Amino acid sequence: MPSGARVAGGFLGGMLLVLLPMLLALGDPYWLDIVTFAYLMAGLAGAWNIIGGFGGQFSLGHGVFFGIGAYLTAILYTEAGWSPWITLAPAMLLAVLVALLISWPTFRLRGPFFAIATMAFNQVAFVLVNYLDWPTNGPRGILIPFRAGLANMIFVQRWRYAVLMFGFLALVTGIAVLLRRSRLGYALLALREDEDAARAAGINVLAAKLEGMAISAALTAVGGALFAMYLRYVDPPTVFTLSEVGVRFALLSLIGGIGTVAGPILGAALVVPVENWLRSTLTGLWPGADLVVLGAAMVLAALFLKHGIVGAAADLMGRRTRR
Amino acid sequence: MTAPLLSVQSASKRFVGLLAVDSVSFDVSAGEMVSIIGPNGAGKTTLFNLLTGQLQPSGGTVRLRGQVVNRLGPHRRARLGMGRTFQIAKPLTRLTVLENVLVGAFMKHRGLRAAEGKAVEVLAEVGLLDRARHSAGELTLSERRRLEVARALALDPEIILLDEVMAGLNPSEVDAAIELYRRLNAQGLTFLVIEHNLKVVRAFAERVIVLDHGVLIAEGSAETILATPAVIEAYIGRQRA
Repeated sequence: MPSGARVAGGFLGGMLLVLLPMLLALGDPYWLDIVTFAYLMAGLAGAWNIIGGFGGQFSLGHGVFFGIGAYLTAILYTEAGWSPWITLAPAMLLAVLVALLISWPTFRLRGPFFAIATMAFNQVAFVLVNYLDWPTNGPRGILIPFRAGLANMIFVQRWRYAVLMFGFLALVTGIAVLLRRSRLGYALLALREDEDAARAAGINVLAAKLEGMAISAALTAVGGALFAMYLRYVDPPTVFTLSEVGVRFALLSLIGGIGTVAGPILGAALVVPVENWLRSTLTGLWPGADLVVLGAAMVLAALFLKHGIVGAAADLMGRRTRR
Repeated sequence: MTAPLLSVQSASKRFVGLLAVDSVSFDVSAGEMVSIIGPNGAGKTTLFNLLTGQLQPSGGTVRLRGQVVNRLGPHRRARLGMGRTFQIAKPLTRLTVLENVLVGAFMKHRGLRAAEGKAVEVLAEVGLLDRARHSAGELTLSERRRLEVARALALDPEIILLDEVMAGLNPSEVDAAIELYRRLNAQGLTFLVIEHNLKVVRAFAERVIVLDHGVLIAEGSAETILATPAVIEAYIGRQRA
């Protein structure tokens, strides 16, 4: 086990490395936007990874928690004038509450059945938000007026958003690093491997899953809130489209290396820019071609990069091979 | 008079149409080494699962140090001092050997450093310290079995239930395992063991319980039991067939 000081050093070094693209992109609004979005997605994938990767509970319903963060912040800000910084608290609280309600029944399901059940919750949330005029404004969505200011989490200079998202990513990663070395972290890893063995080692499997899910959901809600203030617009398809949100978190973790601290960051670092590039170069030629290419790339990743970028890198360095 | 460490009274388990364990009663005192033997399908593993909480009994009571534990889940019983291994070893394959034991050590030691210290101590005890940084998936069968024991030991148990931990081991591995269990027993650890290998039973069990068709048919010292005609017929006779 590496010592605490070494882990802290690794975390700080890694975060400095992650900061680098932002510094390089400072003068270029196009790239700065991509970096900003990559930070946000990396943070969200990292939040998903806590229960999905460490705990092995393959949730496809995290769009619900993301949506709670986005909508609650948009509503409380526009209707009640709450600072988005303040709305983070109720957003996390509600996300945890909903997460526990969803998880209580679905954690009895294993593997793909759990994934499908959580995905269904995402679709229920989509339909519900789309249908309700109050408080979500139905399909018209909520437009957040531009009133710049730190208290409003709305900025004129785009780089401030990049710093904001970086802060979120650093928070999520820091929590993941701590968790990975904690009692709860080991409980999640153990139950991912074998629930009966985990029980025999004294682990309350259901409680550990619920705790992991609660942390994951709370952080995902924070990401949703930041997303709402960044885009200044929320509507049902933006927040609840599975391929854009709920499944995306899982995908980035998978590509980067599921269950590792660095995996979600690497996944986002690779996928978000490539996606943007494909969209800008291929869409003009043949609408939808970017999605075809992206889909094919993901199939290849699933076939040949089973342990993600982290796993492939470890293979290259010979760490996974026997002695 | 002190209560027995483990006390089983009329424990039964009925699966649809099958009484797998039929009103079995026995006690295990602290410091004993007790073997459960019986032919395949006699209900040994089902009985184990009733004791460890993997299964809920259909009737009867299980007491640990006098406390009724019938309604406690496996993790609660593990924390109360009842460790177990599985018939098919369940290593947490993607974790290192050290992490496998750490998982259990965290139950009694809050901080990472303390838990790690405990895990290292336990690995040294079972002779796996040199494998600590290897992934558990790389271990040989006999090492996996010792890892299971180590994971149980990390919770400072008072009794360990071993489910056929000798199966598939070669003679020298069996000897090493017997030596390990005897040493742990000498330190005060109680063992309840499902074992097929009668040589092993003779070598280390002071007392033997015989199950057949879910019923306890005999109980006594190893020498007496293994000489009882009914036992030989029920168990060894069918083993040869």
